[in-house]
Amino acid sequence: MMLKNAPASLIGDAAQKFAANRLAVISLLFLLAVLALCLLAPWLTAHDPAKIDLRGLNKGPSAEHWLGTDKGGRDIVSRLLFGGRTTLWISLCVSAIIAGTGTVVGVLAGYFGGSADSLLMRITDVILSFPFLIFIIVVKSIYPGGGIPSLIWTVGLLGWGGFARIIRAKTLAEKENEYMLAASALGAGTLRILTRHLLPGLLSVFITNLMWTAAAMIGVEASLSFLGFGVPIGQPSWGNMLADALSPEVIREQWWVWLPAGLLITGVILSINFIGEGVKEAFKVQEGRL
Amino acid sequence: MLKFALRRLAGSVPLLLVISVLVFMLAKQMPGDGLGGGLNPGNKDPRYITEMREKLGYGDPLVIQYIRWLKDAATGHFGQSFLYKMPVGELIGQRLPATLLLTALSLLITYGSSLALGMIAGRNPGSRLDRLIRTAAYVTYAIPTFIAAIFAIYIFAVVLRWVPLGGTVSVVTSGGLSALGDRLVHALLPAAVLGLFNTAAYTLFLRTEIVENSGKNYVRTAVAKGISRSSVYNRHILRNSLIPLVTFLGMDIGALVGGSVVIENLFAYPGIGTLFTAAVSGRDYAVMMAVTLMTGFMIVAGNVVADVLYGWLDPRIRAGYNGGRS
Repeated sequence: MMLKNAPASLIGDAAQKFAANRLAVISLLFLLAVLALCLLAPWLTAHDPAKIDLRGLNKGPSAEHWLGTDKGGRDIVSRLLFGGRTTLWISLCVSAIIAGTGTVVGVLAGYFGGSADSLLMRITDVILSFPFLIFIIVVKSIYPGGGIPSLIWTVGLLGWGGFARIIRAKTLAEKENEYMLAASALGAGTLRILTRHLLPGLLSVFITNLMWTAAAMIGVEASLSFLGFGVPIGQPSWGNMLADALSPEVIREQWWVWLPAGLLITGVILSINFIGEGVKEAFKVQEGRL
Repeated sequence: MLKFALRRLAGSVPLLLVISVLVFMLAKQMPGDGLGGGLNPGNKDPRYITEMREKLGYGDPLVIQYIRWLKDAATGHFGQSFLYKMPVGELIGQRLPATLLLTALSLLITYGSSLALGMIAGRNPGSRLDRLIRTAAYVTYAIPTFIAAIFAIYIFAVVLRWVPLGGTVSVVTSGGLSALGDRLVHALLPAAVLGLFNTAAYTLFLRTEIVENSGKNYVRTAVAKGISRSSVYNRHILRNSLIPLVTFLGMDIGALVGGSVVIENLFAYPGIGTLFTAAVSGRDYAVMMAVTLMTGFMIVAGNVVADVLYGWLDPRIRAGYNGGRS
């Protein structure tokens, strides 16, 4: 006998729940719109984001420049779009490195336990014992240069500590499930147990934390660029645009230089957070139902 | 309890040693003299460099160098600041109180306001006030600290003109109580901004905890015994909701010290954060490494304090049941 509305699959069911969450869906649409605008930047704006125009410095919004120009006469809208490419690309890559490393470390430590666990967790402790920004700045000043790829790897490889801890905790909890024992008793290999039985259980925690990391990394890029240790100055990024707010004239009189970037960063982080919450809720309801 | 605290303290010694080795190795990688600041990074003359390295004992085996450095560091000798022409230990001693004041004030503001807001929201879930607090918390949670700082400077310095622009700290000339008051006032805005993210996070966390705990059996028992609503909330629920919050303390100290680097630079606040960035741009390696080591130790200390507090509040932790944590 077929059950009506039987859960199709883990992900399909969660997707259905997610689609019913209005705030999460609106956030997703907003994020996709920002992504599309940034990706299509070369076709959307006629202005070069890096070209200095000495006749049009610090101009307010106009029909020609919708959000005015900055101290180099560069168009703000164009810098926002191209800067978004830089900032979001960095956030995406760093999050991928953090999520990848964090998951491998967390699963290995949590699933195998013993000396592998203590070794990996002690390494995690050491990594988490330094303030993130200070650690990155020290390492970047020893190995300067390398542009954005070097920035991505530095932040990624120093940032996976928290992710690994969360994945390890969830792995330990999942390991207690009887189906894990059953799979092992039935002779399933380690790889099969990990991929077929453990990983699906980690999915909701993984996605939620991936979202949270991506949101946090946008802030990290902005902070590092603002302090002068992030994206090279010539290249537009949301952090570099906000760094202009350090100058008293800009913050006093030229809101169009820093406010749009500030609002855009806040909006994007907020929407990523809401999507993360939506994913968490979508999986939670499902977990509680049999 | 004392035994538990001592055990936890002793357990952090290996971690501290590993941190010191890591900082030592990073310092050795630095182009100048990250250990003692004895080399002038501007002088590229190979003869000068060889001579100085010989004099500073850099020909010795690494282990000897490390032990010598650790001995010096343990007694507060971090070498000479190249930029400020004074001992690094003394320099940090001058700047540290300002940063400690900033972080302590920030923690105070965070705990005070999130406690109040979380209680209000948690006691009236679903109400208009609850929705307002949650929305505000969600939005603040999404604003990176330094963007919040720019917004704050714009609002308080440009629009309201409550604080001067570009430097909220006036030069303290007179000593005594008025100087202390002056410092406190000037640290207030940076501290509030620094704690904003945590305030939002704690408010949301506390609200959830209070709502969840209100449905527990011990609450029903307390209500059935005829204890008043406010007493149940203040004595039973709040106490249990606060315990998990304590474990955040260790993480927070790291976030606060890292955040203070940004905040101090934005508000031109003369603390460890501005010292650190100035040292980085001025290639004052000895100062950089001393600050890095110190902040690492501060985080470990914060974690120990948090764990001991947790054990003190929750006897199950002391007894060795650690809920899967290690």
